[in-house]
Amino acid sequence: MEDWRRIDIDAYDPESGRLTVDDLKPPYPHILTLQELQPAIQQLRSYTSSGDFSAAVQLITSEPPYDADEQAKSQYLTGVLEVLTQVRQADIANIIKQLDRKQQDALIKYLYKGMSIPEGQKHGGILLAWFEKLTQVAGVNPIVHYLSDRRTV
Amino acid sequence: MSQSLRPYLTAVRFSLQAALNLSNFSSQEVERHNRPEVEVGNTSAELLLQPMHIARNEHEQVLIEPSVNSVRMSIKVKQADEIEQILVHKFTNFLEQRAENFYVLRRVPVPGYSISFLITNKHTETMITEKLIEFIIDFMEEVDKEISEMKLFLNARARFAAEAYLEQFVY
Amino acid sequence: MLHLKPHNLLVQKTLTEALEAYNNGSPLTLDRIISDYDYTTLHITNDDGDKSSLLVSIRTKATQSCNETGSDLKGFLEQKFEEAPGLALSGDKKEAGYDFTVTVNLSQITAESIVQVSLFKILVMSYPFYLAFGQSTHFSQLNEVDQVEKSKEATAMVIKYRDDENIYIKPSFDRVTVIFETIFQDETDKVFGKVFLQEFVDARKRNRFIQSAPQVLFSHEPPLEIQQVARQHASTAADKKSSRRFITFVLFPRHYASDELMFTSISQLALFRNYFHYHIKCAKAYMHSRMRYRVDTFIKVLNRAKVDDEGESESRRTFTGRKMVY
Repeated sequence: MEDWRRIDIDAYDPESGRLTVDDLKPPYPHILTLQELQPAIQQLRSYTSSGDFSAAVQLITSEPPYDADEQAKSQYLTGVLEVLTQVRQADIANIIKQLDRKQQDALIKYLYKGMSIPEGQKHGGILLAWFEKLTQVAGVNPIVHYLSDRRTV
Repeated sequence: MSQSLRPYLTAVRFSLQAALNLSNFSSQEVERHNRPEVEVGNTSAELLLQPMHIARNEHEQVLIEPSVNSVRMSIKVKQADEIEQILVHKFTNFLEQRAENFYVLRRVPVPGYSISFLITNKHTETMITEKLIEFIIDFMEEVDKEISEMKLFLNARARFAAEAYLEQFVY
Repeated sequence: MLHLKPHNLLVQKTLTEALEAYNNGSPLTLDRIISDYDYTTLHITNDDGDKSSLLVSIRTKATQSCNETGSDLKGFLEQKFEEAPGLALSGDKKEAGYDFTVTVNLSQITAESIVQVSLFKILVMSYPFYLAFGQSTHFSQLNEVDQVEKSKEATAMVIKYRDDENIYIKPSFDRVTVIFETIFQDETDKVFGKVFLQEFVDARKRNRFIQSAPQVLFSHEPPLEIQQVARQHASTAADKKSSRRFITFVLFPRHYASDELMFTSISQLALFRNYFHYHIKCAKAYMHSRMRYRVDTFIKVLNRAKVDDEGESESRRTFTGRKMVY
C-alpha cells in the first residue's frame, strides 16, 4: 500500500465539485473523425497547391475543426502549417488585414499549437513572423481570447 | 539584434502581457491556503488556462503556463554543443541557488527547459508588470549573449595558455 | 601568474632564512613540512646537534617508478647535488618515511645550491627524462638499420606520479615522445579540458612563432607507442576509462641538444599537468566571478520593477513644504 496520507480522497468523490479538463470542453453533438474531416483537408491542399494562400487562410480561420478528434486535428494542423510556412513574408500582413476578429482568434490558436510540435518548431521563424504581424494588427486581444478559450484546434 | 530574435521576443512580450493578468485567489481545496494554482495540478482544471508555446527553433523555446493567480514561464536556452550545455547548466544553476534574490525565479526548472520563472499575483501587486516583463525579455537577451561570451572567453584563454606554454620550448 | 615555477618557493625561502639566521650567528630551529604538487612532501629539520647543517627529505609518489626506469637514481641525484657547494645526498641515513635526504651545510651553501634543493622534486622526476634523452642520442649515432631496430625495441618508461595518472617516455633515434595520461574528475573539467587540449594541439599550427615547439597530439585511446605498456598500468575501470585522455608531446633533438635545454624542457614538462589543470581552474574561477557580476545586474533590472513605497506622488506636502504624516 502506498502512503495513505497522500491519497487524494476528493478524487474518489463524485460530489466534490471538481472539474477536469474534459468537463470544460464545450459539449459537441458529434465528434468529427479523420474521415469526416478529410474533405476540408483536401480543400486546403488544393488551395495550397494552386498558391491561393489568402483563400486557404480564410478557410482555416473561418471553420476551425474544434469538434474533431485528436488525430483529425493533428492531420489538419499539418495542412495548416504547410499553408502558413509557404506564404511569403511580404504577403503576411495583407492576408491578416482581411481577417475579422473571430478569424484572428482562430489563427493565433494555430500559431501556438504549431510552435508546440517539432514540425512547427522547425519553421519557428515564419510562425513568429505571422505572430508579430497579427499583434501589430490586433494587439494583445487574440492572445487574451486564446487563454480562456477551451475550444482547441 | 538579429532578424529572427526580435519577433521571438515580441511574441514572448505579448504573451506575457496577456498572461500576467492575475488576481488573488484562495485555494478551493484547502481552507486558508493560497497557492499558485499552476503548481498544484490535477485539482481544478478550470483555474488553468491554455498553455502557450513559443518557439524560435527546436533549441530555443518558451513555455508559458498561465493560471488564475500565477504564471509559470520556462525558457529553453540555446545549447549548440557540449561546451554551451555545460555553461548553460552552470549559469542557470548559479542563478537558481540565488533564487531568493530574484523573487520570481523557480528553484527547479520544468523538465525539458533550462530555467523557469514563477510569477504570482503577489509579484504583480508589488511590482510594475511592464517592468517585470522588461526584466524577463532582458534576461533572455542577456543569457544568450553571456553564454556565447563565456564560450569565446574560454577559447581565448585556452589559446593563450597553450601558446604561452609552448612558447617556453622555443629556443 | 601565467607560468608555474619549477622550484619550490617555500623551500627556497626557508633555506634562505636559515642561511641568513646562521650568518647572523643565531641559527634557526626548524621542523617544517612542505608540500608540493603531485603528492610530494618535503621535510626540513635540523641535523641532530649540528647547528650548521640541515636535513631536507623528500617523499614523492614518483620515486618508485623513477627508480625502476634505470639502475641508478640515487647516483644520479648524488651527482646532481654534488655540483652545488654545500649539498650532499646522505646515502644511507635517510630519514624514516622519506625517499631521499639531502644534508645542507649552511656554512658552505650559496644561492644556487638553495635553488638546487628547491628543485628536489623536479630532479627526482627528471631522471627518466635524462635516460630517454641519453638513449635517443645514443640511437642517433648508430647506423641507419640499427637506428630503426633499436628504437623499436626501446620500451616506454613510466612515471607513476599520481594515483591513476602516468607519464610515459619513449625514446627513439630522432625524437623522444612524452605522453601524459590524465583523468578529469568532473564533467565540467572534462569539457573545459577538451577545449584547452584542442588549443594545445592547434596552437603550433596557428602561431608560427612557436613552430619549433614540440608537436602536441591529443587522443582518448592510448597512442601506439605505449599501447603495450599502458595496458599493464592503466586501470581498466570503465568510469575511469571514459574520462581518460592522452596528451602526446613529441620532442625533437633540438629540444634536448644541450644540458641546459634538457633541463628547461624537463622542468616544463614535469609541470605540464599542473599548468594545464591550473588554467582550467582559473577559467572556472573567472566564470564564477563573472556570473556573480551578471546576477547583480539582473537583480538591478528586476528591482527596477518594484513599486517604490516612498514614491514622490504619494507623499503629500503642506504649503510650507513639510511632509504630511498620516
